[in-house]
Amino acid sequence: MSSEIILEVTNLAVEFATYGGSVQAVRDVSFNLHKGTTLAIVGESGCGKSVTVQTLLGLIPMPPGRITAGSARLRGAELLGLSADRLNHYRGKRIGMIFQDAMSAMNPTMTIGDQIAETLIVHMGMSAAAARQEVITLLTQVQIPEPERRLRQYPFEFSGGMLQRAMIALSIACQPEVLIADEPTTALDVTIQAQILQLLESLQQSRGLSIILITHDLGVVARMAHEVAVMYAGQIVEQGSVDDIFYRSAHPYTVGLKAAMPGRSAHKSVLQEIPGSPPDLFAPPAGCGFNARCPHVMQLCTSQAPPLFGTSHQARCWLQHAAAPAQALYQQLIASVRS
Amino acid sequence: MLNYILKRLGMGVLTVWFIATATFAAMHLVPGNPLANEKATNAVIRANLERQYGLDQPVLTQYVIYMGNMLKGDFGIAFSEENRSVNDIIRETFPVSATLGLLSLLFATAGGVMWGALTAIYRNRWPDYLIMFLVILGISVPSFVFAGLSQFAILHLNKWTGVSLLPVAGWGSFRAMLVPALVLGLSTMAYLTRLMRSTMLDVANTDYIRTAHAKGLSTTRIFLHHQLRNAILPVITVLGPSIAIITTGGFVVESVFAIPGLGRYFVQSVAQLDYTVIMGTTVFFGAFLVLMVIAVDILYGFIDPRIRVEASR
Amino acid sequence: MNPYAPKAGDFTPVARQPGLITNPRPSQSYWQDAWLRLKQNKRALLSLYLIVALVLMTLVGPWLWQQDPAYQDLDLISQPPAYGETALVVADPGIWAGVSVDPPTLITVDSNATSSLAATAQIQTVGSASTQYVRLRWEPVAGAGFYLVYRNDHAPESSEDLGLPLGQTLTAAEVSFEDRLQLRAQDYWYTVLASNGLQEAPGFTTVRIPVQRSITESQAQDRKLHANAGDTVTLRSHPFGTDSLGRDLLARIIEGSQVSLFIGIVAPFLWVLLGTVYGGISGYFGGTIDAAMMRVTDFLIALPFLLFMILFRIGFGIGPGESGIVPMLLALVLLRWEDTARLVRGQVLQIREEAFVQAARLLGAQPLYLIFRHMIPNTIGPLLVNLTFSIPMAIFTEAFLSFIGMGVAPPTPSWGSMSNEGLKSMLSSPHELLFPAIFISLTVLTFNLLGDGLRDALDSRMRSRE
Repeated sequence: MSSEIILEVTNLAVEFATYGGSVQAVRDVSFNLHKGTTLAIVGESGCGKSVTVQTLLGLIPMPPGRITAGSARLRGAELLGLSADRLNHYRGKRIGMIFQDAMSAMNPTMTIGDQIAETLIVHMGMSAAAARQEVITLLTQVQIPEPERRLRQYPFEFSGGMLQRAMIALSIACQPEVLIADEPTTALDVTIQAQILQLLESLQQSRGLSIILITHDLGVVARMAHEVAVMYAGQIVEQGSVDDIFYRSAHPYTVGLKAAMPGRSAHKSVLQEIPGSPPDLFAPPAGCGFNARCPHVMQLCTSQAPPLFGTSHQARCWLQHAAAPAQALYQQLIASVRS
Repeated sequence: MLNYILKRLGMGVLTVWFIATATFAAMHLVPGNPLANEKATNAVIRANLERQYGLDQPVLTQYVIYMGNMLKGDFGIAFSEENRSVNDIIRETFPVSATLGLLSLLFATAGGVMWGALTAIYRNRWPDYLIMFLVILGISVPSFVFAGLSQFAILHLNKWTGVSLLPVAGWGSFRAMLVPALVLGLSTMAYLTRLMRSTMLDVANTDYIRTAHAKGLSTTRIFLHHQLRNAILPVITVLGPSIAIITTGGFVVESVFAIPGLGRYFVQSVAQLDYTVIMGTTVFFGAFLVLMVIAVDILYGFIDPRIRVEASR
Repeated sequence: MNPYAPKAGDFTPVARQPGLITNPRPSQSYWQDAWLRLKQNKRALLSLYLIVALVLMTLVGPWLWQQDPAYQDLDLISQPPAYGETALVVADPGIWAGVSVDPPTLITVDSNATSSLAATAQIQTVGSASTQYVRLRWEPVAGAGFYLVYRNDHAPESSEDLGLPLGQTLTAAEVSFEDRLQLRAQDYWYTVLASNGLQEAPGFTTVRIPVQRSITESQAQDRKLHANAGDTVTLRSHPFGTDSLGRDLLARIIEGSQVSLFIGIVAPFLWVLLGTVYGGISGYFGGTIDAAMMRVTDFLIALPFLLFMILFRIGFGIGPGESGIVPMLLALVLLRWEDTARLVRGQVLQIREEAFVQAARLLGAQPLYLIFRHMIPNTIGPLLVNLTFSIPMAIFTEAFLSFIGMGVAPPTPSWGSMSNEGLKSMLSSPHELLFPAIFISLTVLTFNLLGDGLRDALDSRMRSRE
């Protein structure tokens, strides 16, 4: 694994002002993205994973959104707090982005070709004709058949999978270093999912792309990711290499997520759920955000928020404290083996 | 596309038939059949009417005669004037109404799109508040009040400047058209501004605008190439109803400003109980509006690729 | 970060507290939430209060403002708004003989006369100048054949600017003039010019005369004010002024509100009811029935609505100048329900397919239960919004029809017909148009704002972005 850090996010915090009060959607999030690797951010709906990456590109409406702390550096250059004009030098050009629902993420009244060509014209200063040629090349690269005909079509004439390919073509058009894929396969059926993931993998290899992959699907993580950050209630609760996360899970939430993953074997016919629901981010509870759902909750967890323990493999759980009883760790180990 | 147009036209013909029948029914089936009573004093007119409408025949025969005339594009003859057909009246007065209506539709759409876009850009800042206040006023104040007030204003403006800048009433010059067209288009403009504002804000919150931002396009480019275009589409769909509103609004504005259009003539016919003119004009207006709605639909079909492509399959 | 130093008992396991698992915020019912949202919308709330005030005005207004809306005070025609005005009671004017002088020596009228006439001097009032009459007399001018009298509401700047020509004397012997022409309580500038038949005096003198509001003794008796000449009486107040027949505008607006609000509120209620039933049936049964029923609404929507409103009236045999409130109501209901029908149908069709209704059906729910438990509660919000937005439409229609003389006809006032009358005299007395217009606009405005507020509060799908 290359150790060159492309994108470095430290202590990011984002909140939203709503009519019921302010929501702390992202709290103290830090991660590094290394060149040519994939970082997966995993978590259930509403845990703040999308907000985190959209904040990097200034895609969060402000107000109501507000960055309260933190920094994000692309090769050392700060992204947060840039004016829209300055940010436009990064958006689409050095950082590409793919969204979950390609059908709604594409302008319905503009042809696919025009939408892709637009970035080329704006960022690369291409002529319309040159941009058109490039669009054909790009569409070919993402394996869309008959690109000359397809580029004249509108989004509603595309199938979901084809549209996601077009979306990928759009995001990589200007040869970005970083690609942010926000649940790129969630809206697609399984065979198409596999094709899209394969496409992303091959693009990563051929272009040396660094990818931030947002998903709630651990299967996708297992297949794509080099590193994983597990998010819960606006915080990263566990972070490490994909092996760390899968084989040496250190946080009860990660263990729960794994248990909830549908397995291939037939004997696990009933999916295990994590009881309860995420805490109310209007007023985060005292102590650990997971305490109400955690099978190993201790006295300390209800009063004191845990810090991140560990160095390369980190977990935000009191069980990782040196003084925590081994018995709890043992229970957890049992739990992870059972899953 | 041709199929789509034909289908719309077919429905249109059916609708016009329904309007004509409803008009006929309103005049014949309710108590006190106005055509049958003896209000037409003039013997010549009386004879003409009987010939034209077959008044001595049973109702069903009258209906057949009436529909036959309509099919030939003959809207009947006037009740109160000798030797004057409704077609003549329409030919004389409708171009005036159409000019006025077109001008005010132009005012309304151009103004609505512009003001609506402005409010969306300046959302929740003072230009937005100001325009939306005026919009609420435009929606709430009846057109005859605006007509009266504008006459009052013109009069005082002319008095103050000492020159006749704008005529208080009448028709003929472009200057005379200006204020009536503006007054006529005002409520539609207010309505379109509101619509435009809400669609602009809807579009601004869509995923594809977020994509456009993620592509690194400038705000201006996103506004012009992505937001405006998608926001105008719903505005086009309500142009049909807007034309209907402007047409009937024309009755008042033409009456107040003494503009010799079909609307004013219609109001006068109503006052004189010129039944045949009322019938003929109603069917004519009905057919005109149906045609306009279809025209707008077809125009929309050409503009929105989703419909254009679907229709051409 | 300093590593945390644990205390004793920190790592004791605790039981999971099920109470913490559920969402800690209290959940609110749909209507509680809607009311909360509406209360936060200041404009909508203010509109709601105004609507209540308008309805109250209609209901109890006639008791609070006890003036007869039909009473015509021909002495107070088109008076601007006034409150608590007093007037001097003067003797009935009778016939004034005027003032005459001995006929001056006749000067032969010379067509080439170079000597010009002098300006009239010493114009003065005879008796007190009141709104009943202003009596003038002046010194004779040598060589005059007769005199011309002008009145202006400002000091004339030139002989071109003398104002309204009131009249002329018949002879040179008459050196007086009585002005009884629509006098108001204000200052007037009178000018008298001598003329010899060929030319008028080039110079002029003007006299400024303050005119006092007054009524005659017999008028005072008519109004049941027991007063004699010289007394000061308080006149009946007209806070909105009077119309062109001297009727109190406020009383007429209150009476007119009964017609305008009756049609404006009752008609939408009826058509929303009709549309709900129609749309509900259409949506509930679906299929061919639905298709056929919806075709009818397609046709209705295509009808030129206002023209058919007029046609309906004529069909009912009601001519212009005749009132037809009930036919107007009927026509409105019959021509306007299709919008609601479409809304309800769409809503019902959509709810029918919702998972919770399917589930209820699978559990054996009866149609009536489905309708009352699921369909109606889920439709009532949009319906309420639809009703609120229908009211301005009905009020506008009434105003429009009355305005072109096809609605409510005199003597019954409605805001629309009052506007129509007001428009005729708008240039001289704008208040006659302004007050009914303000009431129409205010009503429409408040219902529109309330509708906006209700939509925002009740229906998240239709929520406008503010």
